[in-house]
Amino acid sequence: MPLRNTAEAYGSLAKFLHWAIVLLIVPQYFLAEAADELPNGIEKLQILDWHKSLGMMVLLLALARIGWKVMNRGLPGPIGEPWQRKAAAAGHGLLYLLILAQPISGWAMSSAANYPVTLFGWFQFPALVAENHDLHETLEEVHEVFFYSLIAVAAVHIAAALYHHFALKDGVLRRMLPFSRS
Amino acid sequence: MPTRCCAGVLALLAVLGLGPAAHDASAAAASWTIDPARSQLTFHPRLAGGEFAGRFERFEATIRFDAADLAHSSLLVVVDLLSARTGDTDRDTALQGSDFFQTTRWPRATYTSTGIKSLGGGRYEATGKLTLRDVARDVRVQFRFDSTAPPRGAAHMTGSSNIRRLEFGVGQGDWRSTEWLDDAVRVEFDLALRAAR
Repeated sequence: MPLRNTAEAYGSLAKFLHWAIVLLIVPQYFLAEAADELPNGIEKLQILDWHKSLGMMVLLLALARIGWKVMNRGLPGPIGEPWQRKAAAAGHGLLYLLILAQPISGWAMSSAANYPVTLFGWFQFPALVAENHDLHETLEEVHEVFFYSLIAVAAVHIAAALYHHFALKDGVLRRMLPFSRS
Repeated sequence: MPTRCCAGVLALLAVLGLGPAAHDASAAAASWTIDPARSQLTFHPRLAGGEFAGRFERFEATIRFDAADLAHSSLLVVVDLLSARTGDTDRDTALQGSDFFQTTRWPRATYTSTGIKSLGGGRYEATGKLTLRDVARDVRVQFRFDSTAPPRGAAHMTGSSNIRRLEFGVGQGDWRSTEWLDDAVRVEFDLALRAAR
């Protein structure tokens, strides 16, 4: 499997970035819910540290994914009617936007409450906004709305991939699958 | 100790009562008062590997300082721990509680210098006692003192000190562990001073 994309399938780097981002996002909801249930203390701090660190990894990987996409012009060819291509492009654009906006809103939310954001304590990111209680409250809601929007768009993305695979029986899903030979 | 705190506070109030017309920085009594609006005292803990800053919004200082007479120079700082603010109400509440400052029993921290020496290049080091909760420990404070900048009769004092919070019992229960909250907490100050008569 080549590193770069080919006309038939995504390359190994694009696939790796796609699936790594999926695997990092899935536990985020459960970590946030678990932290919500806990009283203030070490345990909550620990869970939120994981949540924030995974979120910042998502942000870095999403930036790498977009950068790689821009540098990598040999993308698999588009499939489907013009309206389907437009819908797919819009959906993917929205997905990228939300995958970036979600960690950024969380990062800003931590900064507004004057909590440091690190990558597992190895590296500290600078505060994105100054300490501001009202802004923190607003960002907390924004972070939640972005999350549900991300779930909704991701659900459409998954439904479209399955529709291609099972109804249209084309190779669209297979070209992003981790170990597919196409 | 309480009598000394009160004496310091009273001296400060008396000086402030004199108003801002303290331009005559006559050498004899190198006594300084802080301008609270332009002075800050901050603390910088490391939480989960990341540093953040908190501040004490109320503190008082009685500062006698003359670079040419360090033997008679001294610092007395009284910090109102109830004024600790970190930008998050949950964390501020936790700081007041029994795991940290326990302000219902010990609402103030005081620092009293016992000696000041020059480190050269306009830098100084004070040795003294910090009393926090029910513990008094020797703490060194490094600082710069600049009284040459205009206007006359004004001075700027900046410095820091590294405090080991666990020496003072700041961090009970789970917080005795340093895995998520470092033992070392840097305290910084930036003071705008005015010569007092």
